[in-house]
Amino acid sequence: MEQFAQIIIGGLLQGSVFAVIALGLSLVFRVTGIINLAQGGFCILGALTLYTLEADYGWPVPLAVLAAVAITTLVGLGLGAASFVPSLQRLPNSSMLMLTAGLMTAIEGLALVVWGSQPYAVPPFSGERPIVLLGLRLPSQGLWIAGAAVLIILSVWYALARTAVGKALLACAENPMAARLMGVDVRRLTLVSFGLTALIGALGGIAVAPIMSFQFDTGRFFTNAGFIAVAIGGMSSLGGAVAGGLFLGVAEQLAAAYVSSLFATAVSLALLLVTLVWRPSGLFAPSRQRRQDVREELRVHRAIVRFKGRGALVGGLVVLALLAVLPAIVDGGTMSSLVIALILFIAVLGLDVLMGYTGQVNLGQSGFMAIGGYTAAILATGYGLPPLLGLVAGIGISLACALVLSMVTLRLRGAYLALATLTFGLLVDSLTVGLGDLTGGPSGLVGIPAFSVAGFAFDTPQSLYYLVLGLALVLVLGLMGGMRSGFGRALQAIRTDQMAAAALGINVVRYKMAAFGICAALGSIAGSLYAFDFHFLAPEMVGTARSFEMIAMLIIGGEGTLVGGLIGALLITLLPTIFQPLAAYKIMAEGLLLVLVFQFMPDGLLGTGMRALSRLPAGGPRPGRLTEQTR
Amino acid sequence: MNALEVEHLTKSFGGVRATNDVSFAVPEGSLTALIGPNGAGKTTLFNLVTNLFRRDGGAVRFFGQDLGDRTPSEIAELGLMRTFQTARVFPGMTALENVMAGAHRKLKRGALAQMLWLPGARAEERRLARRAEALLDLVGLSAFRDIAATSLPMGAQKLIEVCRALLAGPRLLLLDEPAAGLNDTETAELSRLLRAIRDGGITILIVEHNMSLVMDSASQVVVLDLGACIATGTPRQILADPRVIEAYLGPAAEVA
Repeated sequence: MEQFAQIIIGGLLQGSVFAVIALGLSLVFRVTGIINLAQGGFCILGALTLYTLEADYGWPVPLAVLAAVAITTLVGLGLGAASFVPSLQRLPNSSMLMLTAGLMTAIEGLALVVWGSQPYAVPPFSGERPIVLLGLRLPSQGLWIAGAAVLIILSVWYALARTAVGKALLACAENPMAARLMGVDVRRLTLVSFGLTALIGALGGIAVAPIMSFQFDTGRFFTNAGFIAVAIGGMSSLGGAVAGGLFLGVAEQLAAAYVSSLFATAVSLALLLVTLVWRPSGLFAPSRQRRQDVREELRVHRAIVRFKGRGALVGGLVVLALLAVLPAIVDGGTMSSLVIALILFIAVLGLDVLMGYTGQVNLGQSGFMAIGGYTAAILATGYGLPPLLGLVAGIGISLACALVLSMVTLRLRGAYLALATLTFGLLVDSLTVGLGDLTGGPSGLVGIPAFSVAGFAFDTPQSLYYLVLGLALVLVLGLMGGMRSGFGRALQAIRTDQMAAAALGINVVRYKMAAFGICAALGSIAGSLYAFDFHFLAPEMVGTARSFEMIAMLIIGGEGTLVGGLIGALLITLLPTIFQPLAAYKIMAEGLLLVLVFQFMPDGLLGTGMRALSRLPAGGPRPGRLTEQTR
Repeated sequence: MNALEVEHLTKSFGGVRATNDVSFAVPEGSLTALIGPNGAGKTTLFNLVTNLFRRDGGAVRFFGQDLGDRTPSEIAELGLMRTFQTARVFPGMTALENVMAGAHRKLKRGALAQMLWLPGARAEERRLARRAEALLDLVGLSAFRDIAATSLPMGAQKLIEVCRALLAGPRLLLLDEPAAGLNDTETAELSRLLRAIRDGGITILIVEHNMSLVMDSASQVVVLDLGACIATGTPRQILADPRVIEAYLGPAAEVA
């Protein structure tokens, strides 16, 4: 009984941190309809700044805490003013979600540059000695955590319910247009809520810092936990966020104590999937019905990028010729990076079909890479099966998972779909770590043979390069044919208007599943090739960070262009190899690049370039002169 | 034979009877106009026929076939196409691609044939593109075939939506206020298109406020008011019907 109480208290403590983060997420979601994936970044920024001020500069704890919170809030306000708020009016919601993912990556990269990759620990605020209460031993930091959580929750509640600013925030949440007409400065308030969420994140991160070790990328853990908590509780209800956080904390602690700590994450993820399927609006929030015949999203859309005629053909052949002669002129290190870029491009192609053409967010593409990679690797090392068979088996398992996942997520959209796919990626991630007997656990699987077909081994970077290049070419041509005909039109119709698509007899469900299947299969192929290329596979090589990296590649190159992803993949993979001394800046550059591309060229490098080219000649007729022209 | 039979259709939103025991039939080959003051329940009726809303009672039959609980895409599959009150062209696609998207259910070659660039699939695409172009030409939009459909004026978008529904090869076409927001030139183009559709043997049910358009082209008029069907007849009969005049202008005493 005492042990049980101890576990519950531990769970409540952990849960109160989740609750605080969920509260921050919920606040921004209520005002903007966007889940801010950068939230965890503020936690880690606050905690690391506290460490530096306390340990390196010897500041007293209260002063260091205040300064760390202030600095983080300023960073949050800066990021909000420079990128989040101005983008809100110009980007569709799914792109905003990716933009915050980019912000998160940029914050992580910044932390890596400033603090390096080693873990840090902050001493507890009031000594190591635990407090004994009613026979239960509590870490003294627990009181600080609980106190901070209660303080934050109460002040947010008070601010929203009792102050003018709070009422204006709620008005923005209910109806931004009406709020604007009533004289509410929506942009300023959005910025306020973004700054507020940075402040909340910093406080949460600082309070919990002494009881956990943290490093530059621990922020992901906070974001994920907060995201899951807010989804369990209900995204747009503050009370739900708090309840969801506490619930998640207790559930994880119970799972860790009575099942296995290796599967604590898996349990919470399974819990989330059940919630999403059973009650998508959350366990603690009233479900609201939406009218189906009214368009959900604002009319913000990408411009059209089309390759037509001789110019595109010549351009394509030139690029292909260039890629074909590259191995003759580059050195060995660049060569292996090229192979990796091409392999990742195959997975990005799949993402483009699903995200760029069909408009369905997928934050779990690395999950399919992991399935393909581990299936091929295990079959090759453990059972001596030929690599090609392993690759095909991987595709089969990935398709099966995609089928189940797409059936589960059929009714989900927007942030919920993003969350479900993220959960899938994390679930695969935790299974690759947890199923150590099969996958080699965290240390990975070694001795994976080179890829071979009918006795011919692709065991040099050159041979593998040409193999992957040929495969990519075949895939691009095939998908191009598909996207330029009825199949592609159906997907693009679904992307922006499912209802109008259904009214034309397009079976939305079947086409979404097909797009999901293509995405999964290509992810799986890329994963298998990746394992055969490295002869080694570890969980973090195909972890969630990889999902975000591939999304960055897609966005930077240009969504809905198929070939654009190649530019992104080459850029992100090759730049750090070419500029070795700058390798530490890779993550930050990746995040910043993603954010900047979103803000300044939403069509990606390729799309923007193509448009600039097509604008050179005088161009076709312009709208607005319609009647004159047709008379 | 009747293309569409609506029988005792009923739908409430909360306490409001949006559609109250409505019955009428659309004969095959006719151009039937559905008119009524704002809030009469015309668009709701379209949403009920295409099962976007679940009906509370009554039945809808399409060429004798009960539509029951079919999904909107299954209903479209049968050949019942509709347009929306606010033009819903697909953003991110050109005008031509938008019209071609309509032919979805008519395509014979599957995704695989299209991905393999099989000659049959490409030929089908070319044929389809020519038909779509011909339709755009009919409404005077062929010069804008390669322009993003959403960047065209609202009137042009509505015409594109009609073309799109038409290319789907409908047996019955439901048009929701196609002339709203169109200027005179565009309205003339629309009425040319409507005549072409009717001459092609496609049955049309149209919701429209533009009375000259309705009276010129409709063979039958159904009048809704406050969710109930108050009159059915030829345009001439309807114009003389005192109940219709009352619905539009109020009781005679008040008018006087």
